[in-house]
Amino acid sequence: MNLSALARSPYASVVYVAVAWLVLVPLFSISPRYLPPLGTVIADARSVWPDLVAGFWRTLVETVLGFVAGTILGVGFGIAFAYSRLLERALFPIFVALQTVPVIAFGAIVVIWFGNTIMAKVVIALYLAFFPVAVNTLRGLELADPQRIALMRSFGASRLQLFLKLSLPTALPNILIGMKLAVALSIAGAVVGEWFGDTVGLGVMLLQALYFEQIPRVWVLIIACGLLGTLLYGVLAILERRYVWWRPD
Amino acid sequence: MASRLSLVQGALPVFAALAILLLVWQFGAALLEIPTYILPRPAEIVATAITKSGLLGDALYVTLVEAVAGFLIGAAAGILLAVLMMLAPPVEAVLMPVAIVINAVPSVAFVPLVLLWFGLGMASKIAIGALAVVFVVLLNLLAGLKRPEVEAINLMRSFGAGPLGILFRLRFPAAMPQLVTGLRVGLARSTIAVIVAEMMGAYSGIGQVIYQATGQVDYLTVWAAVFVAMLGSLALYGVLVAIDRKLVWWR
Repeated sequence: MNLSALARSPYASVVYVAVAWLVLVPLFSISPRYLPPLGTVIADARSVWPDLVAGFWRTLVETVLGFVAGTILGVGFGIAFAYSRLLERALFPIFVALQTVPVIAFGAIVVIWFGNTIMAKVVIALYLAFFPVAVNTLRGLELADPQRIALMRSFGASRLQLFLKLSLPTALPNILIGMKLAVALSIAGAVVGEWFGDTVGLGVMLLQALYFEQIPRVWVLIIACGLLGTLLYGVLAILERRYVWWRPD
Repeated sequence: MASRLSLVQGALPVFAALAILLLVWQFGAALLEIPTYILPRPAEIVATAITKSGLLGDALYVTLVEAVAGFLIGAAAGILLAVLMMLAPPVEAVLMPVAIVINAVPSVAFVPLVLLWFGLGMASKIAIGALAVVFVVLLNLLAGLKRPEVEAINLMRSFGAGPLGILFRLRFPAAMPQLVTGLRVGLARSTIAVIVAEMMGAYSGIGQVIYQATGQVDYLTVWAAVFVAMLGSLALYGVLVAIDRKLVWWR
């Protein structure tokens, strides 16, 4: 990798932002109420390191389980909607409405349903991750060129062959867009799920930081959530580069 | 007349599916004798929503104003940033890293900060709503704007089209479907972000009603508030769909 490619990579963005943070805070004498100096934030992170690691790990597990389950469900419904107009017309608006249901409103109820277990957070993460994947799968499948469909049909391709060889490959880049959106949402689901009675996790620490108005701690947790998101996003990007290198046309 | 007929036909499957869902829920819950605190019947929820319509209506109004204001600000900022990045690559080089870093953080993590900065009033909810929308719109639109093939761009250039001409005549129309997806996802996210922020601290709004009702173990009011919030967001979504139909009329 040459220097200019390295300078453009997302990893470099972290460095740019860190440098900007180091330079801009003293330069404009930004109040610590808005943005404390990077050093203060790092010192705060070190003071709670074991809790932070345990919380990170716990939230990561909840997020990944919810994300994977949500993606599978989302792709399934996206395909069903693409192949059944009736199903799309009947269920899509309901899903949109359900999507706007603030699941966290049900935090207490979800805990009654699933107990105060990891399952409650996974369900909330799944619920939030599902929708963007379904929407993008549907849009992606609709992109398949009708002329190519007609061509493949004229050669006697079955519906399954059309789907596997044309529609699905055309839709995959879009499905990945949906999955990238879903990653951030499933982290949000896991974090918010933890607000309802748990003792370990980034969400728990975030709630405590708000109550005690510890702004450096809030920034530590924002960075931790960002790292979690970047980690999962990075894994997706690697998978994309290896398996879905083409673009829809 | 014809369009009104097709609208009715379009809405029919939704109503049928809703009716089936509600009947199964109502009679299933009664048949299995599920207690109200676990899953209330739809009829009970609607009855609660009606008896508390004054409280819920006021709360919904506040929440919708916050969500729409946040959505409009976020969407406008997202579109503006995408256009700016498309026209001026150096801007993309500088701002994209920041956008990527901020976007990697789920917007709920910013709720405590926004509440501490903007207070418990409406400003903090509008800010979080805008934050939840801006990057979805930016990333979707930018991906859409970059879709046209190099040949088509070169062809337009050879006819003397400038960067603005290419942007508005070629790239924007090509990016519309992606923009619409971004806006739809963004609208849902802004409503949720606003309600989350209201639950953590607010004077009014659906989230605040839900938070109080949860504290009082009044789950029927929680369900009724959620139901009302859903109706409100559905209305917003309907308006957005009507707008997209106008935007992508050529498809």
